[in-house]
Formats: sequence, C-alpha cells, structure tokens
Amino acid sequence: MSVIAVYHIKGGVGKTATAVNLSYLSAAGGEKTLLCDMDPQGSTTFYFRIRPVEKFNTRKLLKGGKHIDRSIRGTDFPGLDLLPADFSYRNIDIALDDMKKSRQRISRILKPLRKEYDQIFLDCPPNITLLSENIFYAADHILVPLIPTTLSYLALQQLYRFLDEIEESRSKVIVFFSMVEKRKKMHWEIMRQLIKKKGFVPALIPYLADVEKMGLYRQPVNVAFPHSMAAAAYRSLWTEVSKRIGGE
Amino acid sequence: MLSGRKSTIWVLPESLEPDPLIADIGEVFPTVIEQVQTTLRTWFDTFDWRLYQRGFYLYYDGVDWNLLKKESEDVVASHTTKVASGTYFAWDFPASRIRSILEPILEMRRLLPLVVHDSSATCLRILNKDEKTVVQVFLEEHKLTDHKSVLRTVRLQNVRGYEKNFRELSRFLGNYGIRQKADLFYPFTKGVELGGRQPLDYTSRFDISLKPEFSARSAMIVIYRQLLDTMQRNESGVLDDLDSEFLHDFRVAIRRTRSGLGQVKKVLSKGITDRAKKDFAWLGSITGPTRDLDVYLLYEKNYRPRLPDGLQGGLDIFFADISERRIIARRKLVQHMQSGKYNQILSTWHDHLYSETENEEAENSGIPVVDLSRDIISQKYRKIIKDGKAITLSSPDEHLHRLRIECKKLRYILEFFSSLFPQKDMKQVIKLLKRLQNNLGEFNDLSVQQDMLRNYHTTLRPGSRKNQDLAASLGGLLTNLYHEQQKVRSGFALRFSEFSADGNALLYKKLFDLKT
Repeated sequence: MSVIAVYHIKGGVGKTATAVNLSYLSAAGGEKTLLCDMDPQGSTTFYFRIRPVEKFNTRKLLKGGKHIDRSIRGTDFPGLDLLPADFSYRNIDIALDDMKKSRQRISRILKPLRKEYDQIFLDCPPNITLLSENIFYAADHILVPLIPTTLSYLALQQLYRFLDEIEESRSKVIVFFSMVEKRKKMHWEIMRQLIKKKGFVPALIPYLADVEKMGLYRQPVNVAFPHSMAAAAYRSLWTEVSKRIGGE
Repeated sequence: MLSGRKSTIWVLPESLEPDPLIADIGEVFPTVIEQVQTTLRTWFDTFDWRLYQRGFYLYYDGVDWNLLKKESEDVVASHTTKVASGTYFAWDFPASRIRSILEPILEMRRLLPLVVHDSSATCLRILNKDEKTVVQVFLEEHKLTDHKSVLRTVRLQNVRGYEKNFRELSRFLGNYGIRQKADLFYPFTKGVELGGRQPLDYTSRFDISLKPEFSARSAMIVIYRQLLDTMQRNESGVLDDLDSEFLHDFRVAIRRTRSGLGQVKKVLSKGITDRAKKDFAWLGSITGPTRDLDVYLLYEKNYRPRLPDGLQGGLDIFFADISERRIIARRKLVQHMQSGKYNQILSTWHDHLYSETENEEAENSGIPVVDLSRDIISQKYRKIIKDGKAITLSSPDEHLHRLRIECKKLRYILEFFSSLFPQKDMKQVIKLLKRLQNNLGEFNDLSVQQDMLRNYHTTLRPGSRKNQDLAASLGGLLTNLYHEQQKVRSGFALRFSEFSADGNALLYKKLFDLKT
C-alpha cells in the first residue's frame, strides 16, 4: 500500500494525464485504487465524467471520515474510485492554517483510506503551499513529471530544497520525463545529462496528440487508444514506477 | 463500514426472454451494450460435502482455483495452478494458502467435479447525461454442460456514489416480475439439484429417526434399508477408486448390518437371518484386504516423523510395496463386486427388505422396538462392565481387543436406537462410550500395526542392501509403536473408570431400565 502524489511546481507538464492514466493502470492490474483530485480546477474529475459532489467542500474534506466516504465515486473502471475536487479547494491553505497540526491534516484524512485501498494517487495543484507541505508529509512517493528543459530542472531543484527545509526525505521523489519532443535536440541533451541522477526512472512520455485528446474522449488513453504509442508509454512508465515502489 | 461494491442477483423468470428485456431497458435508460467473455467453471466438493458443510465453495475456471466463503461471497483464497486432471486431493495442490485451508477439511477425501457450466453475459452499462456509467446490469446465461439446461440470472452492479440509479433499476426490474433473489452460487446449487443431488444429502454418520411404537421388525427394516442405501451409494466410488472413504463407509455399513443381525435377534426369520449373516460375512471378507492396505497407506504421514532421516529410505521402499499390493488386492475386490454372487446377495437382501409380505414371522418381530432395544443395550452394558473390571495391567492384550469389540457392538446398537430416547442423555451416553472406545481403538490400532510390520518383516529375505534398509526402518518403527502402545494402555484404567462410574450407570438405569 502506498500513497503517490503526482506533483510539479508548474502547471501544464502532464501531471493530470499522469495521475489519470497511472491510476487506471494500477486498478487494471488488480489493485484497488483511489485517485484524489486535489486540484480546484477539477480536471481529473472532469476526465472521469464525474460531477463535483454537492455539499462536499474544503471543510468536509478536512473533517475527513464519513464526509469523504460519502463523496467517493466509482469510475467506469473496476477497482478505480475517485474523490472529486471542489472549487473551494482554492482556499484550502487558509483553512489549513487555522488548524492544529496543520501539516499532518491530509495524512490523517488518508489514514482510514489506506486500509481500504491498495494504492492512493493524489493529483496535486501546482505551487508550493501549505497544502503541498501536507501532501509531501502524507505521501510515500512524490512522482514528478519533468519536461526536459533547463527551467524545469531548476524547478526540481527548488522542490528538493523545499523538502530539505521541511525535513522530508528527498528519496520520496521519483522523476520521469514528460512531454518529450523527439525532434528537439535540447530535450535529448538534457535527458542524457539527467537520466543517471538519483530519483530518475528510465521511462518517458512523449508529447503526443493522443494524450491531448483525453479532454475530448474523457477516458484514460489506455482505454480510448489501447494500441497507441501513448498507451504503451504509460504502461512502461507504470512498470518502472511500480518497480521503484516495490523495491523499497 | 466503508461502502464498497454491492451487487444483487435475481433469477430471470422463465417466461422472460432476455432480448426483449434488453430492448426495454435500452428504451428507458441511455445504455451501452457489451458482451462479457464466456467462462467455464467447474465446482468441486467431496462426496460428503465437506466444503459446503463449512460454508465454503470451490471452483476452477481453467486458470485459477477460487475458494469462496458463503456469507461474504468473497474469495478467501485463490491459486493459479493446474492440478493434473482427476487427482483432486488436497495434497495435489502446491503449497499455498488454498492448500492449507483445504487440507484439514478434506483430509483423505477427493474433490469431485459436481457442476460444470459455461457462463456468458450481456452487460448493459446505464449512463447519465455526462455519459458516465452509473449502474451495470448483467444478463447472465449459465449452460450446464451435463444436463443441457440453461440457467438465467440478472445481476445489478452498483457504482459507488450512484446508489439512486441502482435503486431505480432495481425497481424497474421488479416491474418485470424479477424478484426471486439468487446468489453467486446459484449455478452450483441449482446444477447440483438438476444432477439429482442435494447439498448435504450424504453423511457417513448414522442418522435415522424411529418411533417407539414401531415393531422391532419394522424398525430393523428401516435401519437395514438405510444401511443398504449407504452401501449402494458408495459402490461406484469404490469401483472407481475415487478415495479410500468410499470403501470405508461401504464397510462400516456392512459391519453395522452384521452387528444388527447378530445382536437384534429373532426379528427376521431364521432362514433369512442365517443367510444374511453368511452373505454379509462374505462381503466383509472381500472388502477387508484392500481396506487394510488403505489403512497402512494412510499411516505414511504418521510414520515419517517417527523415524530419523537415515531410516526414511526404508519407508519409501515399504510404502511403494504396499501400493503395489493394494493394486492386486483391489483388482480382486473389483472382480468380486462385479460377480454374479455379489449382485445376487445385494438383490436378495433388497427384496427381503422391500417385500410387502411378512410371510415368515419370528419370535421378536412384533414387540415394540423400544422394549427390545432396552434389553439389548442393558445386556451389552452389563457385559462390558463385567469384562472391563476383570482387566488389569497384566491381562493379555487379547482381553482388551475383546472388550473393544463389545464396545463397538454397544455403540452400533446405541446409534441404531438413539432416536427413541432423549437426545441430551444419549449424547452423554455416547460421549463416555466414545472416550473408552478411542482408548481401546488406539491400543488395537497400534497392535495391528505392529503385527503387520512384524509379518512383513518375516517375509524379507536377508542379504540385499534394499532389504537391510527396509528392515532397519521397520525395526525403528516397531520400537516406537510399542512404546506408544504402552502409554495408551496405561490410559485404559482412567477411561474405563469414567465409563463404569455411578453417574453413567444411573443414566443407563433411567434410560434402559438397567437392572444391576
């Protein structure tokens, strides 16, 4: 059982696509999986054709227990459930700040769910906030999609420094290359330099139209286009990530 | 309790065709139709329903063995393995959770494939306005391969968080008269029924209900009929050599019949009784040798830990030889059971038990069974007390064996007539007798084993290395068994004093008019 947070400081790096596709593959592999959409934008929720749950909001989320239990929705795929996002999450930091032990709130909320599910994915909003701190504390692994550019790498450094600051282990971080463009020489160059660094897994997700089209089909790529390159890429990413998780 | 997956299954009424129902659902609800892959399932249990009795179900789908618990309908253990076809003993499974659960339950009994069915389903995914699946309807079809029947069920599967839609569909189906609930095991239970059996329709326990006003004759006829039925039901399992219990139960029925003929005297006419005694003695004698060898083979597990590693090799040779002897003994048994004599015996006995006319009266046939049974039980009890009291630590083994046989006779008689007396008291009576019997049985068992090993030992020709190993192992075993027998013997006094205690005697007085 592990909690995997899919995280990046910046938006638009393929974070939600990763959370959706990997959680699907996890469930398809027979593990009971919960995906928590923590991003107020609710893209993950939208991808699964699920509506935000009435009467569920930041306050209820932070109360946890039956409030969460009632709000979990089954997806169309066996073994995969979703905790939908709510727009009120945009103010979640303010709510967290008012609480005692505000860093450990999310971890406490997840505790009963760890018993019910084999795998929990958290799709996190960008930025470094009190919520991120909560998530880093709660997660067993932080999965970071990295576009192979200099700026992205600098952002990763920033994450490491932040983890040092809050005394979380850097070893929680698992990095893979995302939105890789084959024709860009710079992408290959940067990947060549980074791949041997600690925390990187040898799997990459190319920049592909099929991934972009997820918004249109509202299904994981492994369901909509199971024979596509994109589907194959996510499968091998999940294989690598599972290996890393299992190897502890 | 966290809410999870929930499904409800109903029987599809025979008057309802699946296709029009599918069309009707599609008209009212936005639906996507999918075919679900066909699966072949084989359900297993032992002849005496050992799994069912403990609330388990077991099936094999060509890839996995799944063991399910009745109440939760959950798979408690699953194992991917191919077990060579036809050899379904617990020990044929590789070491796994499923095996460790099955082993103590099945013991020496073989799993029999009881129901085989091909199942296919049409799945209707009911969508909401976002085209999200909110509930699933499965129209399932189970083709029973043996009986050419088709069973149809409807299963409604919830999607977490969309319970309203689940209730809506369930009401919709209710309007079609789909109300008879079924469960996950419906194809199994229904398939068993169509195959002419019922769960728990066989047990090796003797269980019969008599009325006190029955005449001795009619009571004994009921008992003999049931015993004959037990023999007949075990016959094919003996012939096919499915497992050792078929022959065991077959022989117990023979022994019970013989015990009845010998102890409940003058109930059938002399001619019939004499003939039956002879016939059943013959049945006992033809089934004995194979059973003896079965027993030796069952000892293997018990013998292995008694010997150090160095002597294990001899045991391999010994058991290989016993297996070979058993093949020969069984061949003879099968010949006997297929002979004219055998068939003649069973059909003559059957005709006696089922003929309407009581043309030959006997002295005791008309007296109430309850009176006769009291006499016989009291008499046997007195004999056991007398013989038992005479046994001391220096008595020859033979005396203990004789007492064992007397106890066994009493036990059979008590079981025959148990339903005539208060159940609570009978339980107590049988409990104390059983404890004494266990001690005597164990003692006897150990002597039989030593005799067997000693006899076997004398047949060995000296000289060969193989026989030296064998002799060493046998010697080790003999010593070990002897010591154990001494221990068992020293326990006799206690067991017998419990049996002969005043409390028990009072119970016999109260129940059976025992006069001391």
